[in-house]
Amino acid sequence: MMSLPMLHNALLVGAMLFSLGLVGILTRRNLIVMFLCAELMLQGVSVSLVAWSRYHGDWGGQVLVIFVLTVAACEAAVALVFVLQAFARTGRLDAAAWQTLREATLPRVMDSKLPADDTLAPSWPTLSPAGVLPPGDPQESLQREHV
Amino acid sequence: MFGSDPTSAGTLLAAGVTSAAVSLWLLLPRGTQSPASMRLGTVLGLLALAAFVATGQRLGSIGEEAVFLIVSLVAVVAGAATIVTRSPVYSAIWFALALAGVAGVLLVLGAQFLGVATIVVYAGAILVMFLFVLMLAQPSGMAPYDRVSSEPLLSAVAGAVLLGLLTLSIGRLTAEPAACCNTPSRAAAMADAAPVAPAAADVAKADRMESDQVARLGAELFGRHLLAVEVAGVLLLASLVGAIAVVSRGEAAAASEGRFSR
Repeated sequence: MMSLPMLHNALLVGAMLFSLGLVGILTRRNLIVMFLCAELMLQGVSVSLVAWSRYHGDWGGQVLVIFVLTVAACEAAVALVFVLQAFARTGRLDAAAWQTLREATLPRVMDSKLPADDTLAPSWPTLSPAGVLPPGDPQESLQREHV
Repeated sequence: MFGSDPTSAGTLLAAGVTSAAVSLWLLLPRGTQSPASMRLGTVLGLLALAAFVATGQRLGSIGEEAVFLIVSLVAVVAGAATIVTRSPVYSAIWFALALAGVAGVLLVLGAQFLGVATIVVYAGAILVMFLFVLMLAQPSGMAPYDRVSSEPLLSAVAGAVLLGLLTLSIGRLTAEPAACCNTPSRAAAMADAAPVAPAAADVAKADRMESDQVARLGAELFGRHLLAVEVAGVLLLASLVGAIAVVSRGEAAAASEGRFSR
């Protein structure tokens, strides 16, 4: 059994994970990232279930989390197969590639102002030259050509 | 910490929720973003985290508190990074770190089997499956749909409002009333079933330190929930067969129709 402040804090962590997963699944457009966010929501629920289970001294919550793990494995297997099939048909992992299936009254998603290139390009480390470049053997390249 | 003063707690919660919403909106991919706005979003996110840490209640011992704080911060920060990272591969890696944090939280809570099972099953099996699919299906370079998101402002506000409401209702938790109902609670039944009946504090301490917790969980799983275990086995088999069937028939159809293929 567990104290009430610990239950409070654990439920807070579960709520934060669930909310983050909800925001991700609402905004992100990559199908695989959307499934990752669904798994994040499942993690938040699992933390809450285990906290309640320990607080009440009941095994039901932990048993339910075991079944959540099982169903998440099944769901990930089937869903990733569907994602692969969707990618094979459209060549994109974009959820908006399937917007022809939307309701007739909803507007079409248009990427009007796509960035031309990533503004947050990675900055690779550069090595400053130390010392003078050795002259090198002029015969070396010829020798290598013949080997 | 501030639970005794409702006005201060309300202000803290409002500040935390607002800064969380603005931080998520600044950090989510929105096409062109300046590094300054990303830095501002990071700072606001840290402020929101500090507000929610202050919302949490003090535990008994300093050590337990520190360990719980570290693992829960790892889980939440890695979860936030999962949803704001542009590259899906980095998203999956951050999700692995979030899983490690969640496993730590479960271990602190005293669920040893589930903490280890989360690492083994999620990070070891499900996440590797995600990474395999990413390698199979990822176009070269970062795709344009990874650099934009649909309705980031509305979603961030919705998530922050949900978090605020959950925090509010969690903050109203009080200890279970002693005689809420006529049926004895399972905790009392389990305590009575123990061979010795020591004081309540001793029961709590022994329960936290017990060594055969996994065995008791297994007895519960294969005792009272045996039928559910059988059904879960059937579900695993059905999803396995279904996944193979969809792959083989889908590839045959794609080959015959000459569609885009890997």
